[in-house]
Amino acid sequence: MLLSILIRLQNLAWFSNFRSSAYVYPVVLALHLTAVSWFGAMIVITDLRLLGWALPDTSPAEVIRRLRTGKRIGFLIAAACGFVLFAAKAEEYYYNAFFRTKMLLFAGVMIHALVFRRSVYANSAIAKDTANPIPRRAKLAAWLSLGLWLGILCAGRAIGYVAGKAGMHYR
Amino acid sequence: MLIENPLSTSPSAYPVLECFHIAGFALAIGMIALVDFRLLGFGFLDQSPAQIERAFRWWTLGGLITAVFSGLLIFSTDPDMYYLNRSFLLKMTLLAIAIIFNYTVHRQSPSGKLSKTSTRLIAGVSLLLWTSVIFGGIFIAVVAPGLG
Repeated sequence: MLLSILIRLQNLAWFSNFRSSAYVYPVVLALHLTAVSWFGAMIVITDLRLLGWALPDTSPAEVIRRLRTGKRIGFLIAAACGFVLFAAKAEEYYYNAFFRTKMLLFAGVMIHALVFRRSVYANSAIAKDTANPIPRRAKLAAWLSLGLWLGILCAGRAIGYVAGKAGMHYR
Repeated sequence: MLIENPLSTSPSAYPVLECFHIAGFALAIGMIALVDFRLLGFGFLDQSPAQIERAFRWWTLGGLITAVFSGLLIFSTDPDMYYLNRSFLLKMTLLAIAIIFNYTVHRQSPSGKLSKTSTRLIAGVSLLLWTSVIFGGIFIAVVAPGLG
């Protein structure tokens, strides 16, 4: 069911053409990585602040608030480019163990958000006064976030190393 | 060759180095971009651009060093190919310009002594330079098919 949808997706004229283009594909990949850099740095800064290692004069709540829009835009660009890269070779990606790992880690990011959103990220009281100590729960959230996103980065790079069952249903 | 490069004999060395390379450049290029966005009037508006630049300075350098050293090791696995690769040569030229620009013009720009126009111009040039380095890296594999 899912697989047949993916095969249809990759055989849409737009994605077929994209797949066989020698230059457009790497351009989208480079844009994906550029957005990943911008987005990744914002994630790291938030986590470093929660750990108390960066921007000590700004409260964590303020850092989170100031980066919120930028993070959303960065993630949207990275995800849009990522979707195009995926859609062009949807069937291959479906079988790719590292792509599956990456998607599982994204599910982990969503669970992380559900667990820590109220107590850490949407909690305006968190170390409001920069003199207050950062709660252990927030530090745990930061470490888990760093681990998850680093895992996503490595799994993403590893996708390209699995020899796919390429071209089985390419049109 | 008398000594085999151990990085070339281990199948996992190359992808692991690439992960370090990506994590390093993402940290450096992303943090430089955040300073640029601040210069353009986005992001941490409660702090001056100079404060933001100082806050990210050492993390940026750490990312840059990680990216450069993992990059040197990646280069060592196939120096002939890289040396002859046009995209690689372009990338190295752009990288040299970007690093020099970052530690001269770009570092001075948050001081607030420059006009609004030149500050914005510097931010734009910085964003463009570092993005072009990423493009140069991706196109190494396009120019040399079969590298993966």
